[in-house]
Amino acid sequence: MGAPSLQGDPPREVAQPGRGTAYFGDFFGMVLRPVHRLIWADPQRRARKLLEFAEVEASGGRDLVRAAELTDDPVLRARYLVHARDEARHADMFRARGRALGKEATGGGKEGLADWMAPGERGMEGLDLTREKDADLLAFLHLSESAAARDFARYARVIDKDPATRILFQRILHDEDEHKAYTRGELSRIAPHRARRVLWWARLRRLWKAYLRFATALAGVMAGVVLMVQYFLLLPPFVWLAKRNAKREKSGWIFVDEKAPR
Amino acid sequence: MKILGISGHYHDSAAALLVDGVPVAAVQEERLSRHKNDAGFPLAAIEWCLDRAGLSPDDLDAVIFYEKPTLKFDRVLTGLLQGWPGSWRSYPKAMKNMLGEKLWVRGLIASQLGISTRRVRCIEHHQSHAAAAFLTAPTQEAAIITADGVGEWATLTVGTGTKRADGSSEIRMLRELRFPHSLGLFYSAVTAYLGFTVNEGEYKVMGLASYGQPTRIDEMRRLLRPTADGAFTLDLAFFDFLGKVESGYSSRFIDLFGPPRKSWQPIDLRNEEGRRLADIAASAQALLEEVMVGIATNLQRETGLSDLCLGGGVALNGVANARILREAGFARLFVPSAPGDAGCALGAALYADRILFGQPHKAVPDHPFWGPEPDEAALFRIAREDGIPAIASDELIEDVADALAADKIVGWVDGAMEFGPRALGHRSILAAPHDVAMRDRLNRDIKYREEFRPFAPVVAAEHADRFFDLPPGGARLARFMSGVVPVRPKWRSRLAGITHVDGTARVQVLDREMEPRLHALLEAYGQRSGIPVLLNTSFNLAGEPIVNTVAEAYSTFRRCGIDLLVAGNVCLTKPRAVRAQILENVA
Repeated sequence: MGAPSLQGDPPREVAQPGRGTAYFGDFFGMVLRPVHRLIWADPQRRARKLLEFAEVEASGGRDLVRAAELTDDPVLRARYLVHARDEARHADMFRARGRALGKEATGGGKEGLADWMAPGERGMEGLDLTREKDADLLAFLHLSESAAARDFARYARVIDKDPATRILFQRILHDEDEHKAYTRGELSRIAPHRARRVLWWARLRRLWKAYLRFATALAGVMAGVVLMVQYFLLLPPFVWLAKRNAKREKSGWIFVDEKAPR
Repeated sequence: MKILGISGHYHDSAAALLVDGVPVAAVQEERLSRHKNDAGFPLAAIEWCLDRAGLSPDDLDAVIFYEKPTLKFDRVLTGLLQGWPGSWRSYPKAMKNMLGEKLWVRGLIASQLGISTRRVRCIEHHQSHAAAAFLTAPTQEAAIITADGVGEWATLTVGTGTKRADGSSEIRMLRELRFPHSLGLFYSAVTAYLGFTVNEGEYKVMGLASYGQPTRIDEMRRLLRPTADGAFTLDLAFFDFLGKVESGYSSRFIDLFGPPRKSWQPIDLRNEEGRRLADIAASAQALLEEVMVGIATNLQRETGLSDLCLGGGVALNGVANARILREAGFARLFVPSAPGDAGCALGAALYADRILFGQPHKAVPDHPFWGPEPDEAALFRIAREDGIPAIASDELIEDVADALAADKIVGWVDGAMEFGPRALGHRSILAAPHDVAMRDRLNRDIKYREEFRPFAPVVAAEHADRFFDLPPGGARLARFMSGVVPVRPKWRSRLAGITHVDGTARVQVLDREMEPRLHALLEAYGQRSGIPVLLNTSFNLAGEPIVNTVAEAYSTFRRCGIDLLVAGNVCLTKPRAVRAQILENVA
């Protein structure tokens, strides 16, 4: 499962007129375009984000494998395994490109985006796959793939000076479109009379999860500020005591058993 | 008494259940949640353990957590204070972490299980390690060493254990080293420096070390210096355990050894940079061995005991274990199948039973198979649904031996899952061990991992000495694949698939009584090849935990180059045409 060459067959162009119009109609896409352009302009940040995308795709692939292991539907099992293979391939592609960019970059490492700023497709967003019904999972996957496709299309449009990365996004977008189609088709197959309801329910759940992510991040920031104030204002007297004690500590063994030979 | 042991909240959570002094179930959370090294509260593992024994939480006499959260909080807070103001980045994270959940673990356990907090108790981390090592070992009296990154305060302890004729047991801790002076953290800092993930990539350092020379050991000794009393101390100028939690090394470390490797940079052992990294790994490994052998030697002289029980994450270092056995003066070295934090779940339960509640000692069955069992019928059903050829037969061993002799790769699922990080014959990928091509094929088509990492062999106990240069007591050490020993030179070319670059192998010596079916397979394979040795690697793909159920084994089988999947008496074959068809049908 090596990283496919980016110089191979030309990808199907995703910014086709029909689709492109749909994406350009995306209000948030329009508003955020300057922000995306700014974010993706820096090669270091681009490399880091691609490596993070690789992790997200790999994680999504593992979740799909898990879904395949848990479903009783043989068709879905096969679909999920193929989908998982695609995600693993995407991870390889992102990783290869991220590494290529990273050779010139001095940054890297784990630091970077908070979870709530990750791309639209976030694996299974912490879904407990053992408790999900097939229809709910398919609806979730469909929406997740749609969000990922939308995000990747936005990114592809703002990367003007890096054709290799743009082609990478376009290739992956092609797969995401197929994933969107099959998840919708399978949802109609296994829940023919309630597919739309399940999709709306999944949308609400995604919204709720987005709120939770935002609220958690906000709470984290608030807690961080309070703790930081505490750190610099309240701790110094205790710091003095702790440092004084540290100087008194002897190196080597600490005897736990009083009767132990010394 | 019915006692549940729990470890968790750091890495590799687990649960273990003891009924009337004997383990009945133990499993790591990662095997059920399918998240590698799952550190979360091990609810799935607890539920499975209770289900296995047919118990509800109300039936439990006690629930034992493997460490004392208040002591741990004391250490974390003290460390942050001592590191002020440099610890400002770590402080919010550490406080949110401790105050959010970890400090209130008794209440958390009680609420999750719906029991009174009075039934929940905590014991010290290294007591759990010591109990896991000593109380599971078939010995009456032994010296004990536990070593890991850090528990509450202790990072390394030495002591003794005794099981008396009247049934009472004692674990006596003599002395300990305390944070930040830690052999485990030293090795983890080197692991991070070499670009591997801490708490996961340490065995990669050990594998890489064999390709290098310990040319940097004098520099390493500046980091970790012996003390007059036979212990050691870390020079904290080279470490940063507070500021950079994920790495642990400081800028002075980088000044000394050069730029660290980024995790995504490949290691090419043919160039200078690759050799530099290998030399650093070799130097750290040599120093770790030197320190462990020194401490063990002193303990043997002090106690005069012939057996040593080793626990803690450092006990996963098979090269160091083998040196301890050879050089420290002990006749036998016992390392449990799960010496790391997961094993603390079992250790905590045993410690409570024998020491806290004073129950009489009972011998713990000497095997690692305490996990869930596979459902062969489910595999048969899945295979039928997917059109994969499957047969069910009571006499598969001969067919599987034929397949192995024909260079097929076999996924082997048989009986209760192992407790611990090693695949010891119940969730294994088996293959012929004879040539490098097989090793490369496994790396390329199945494990997708670095070429410098070796594969381990399994050998029938009766034949172990013929192929491997086992020191006295080596068979015991190799029972749970805990020691790295030389492959006898005359066999190295015929065991090239499992012989590491330095001529060694981390062998599993298999007793017929412990796993009769795999033993029979080894014998059958030996009849065909003349060598009753198989390559035995864990049944998982890179980044995933070892498989548990047949569905997980099946999905792994479908996704990689395994040719045969065997679960009990069911065997699935994967013809190339079918493999291609499976993927193309729906693509």
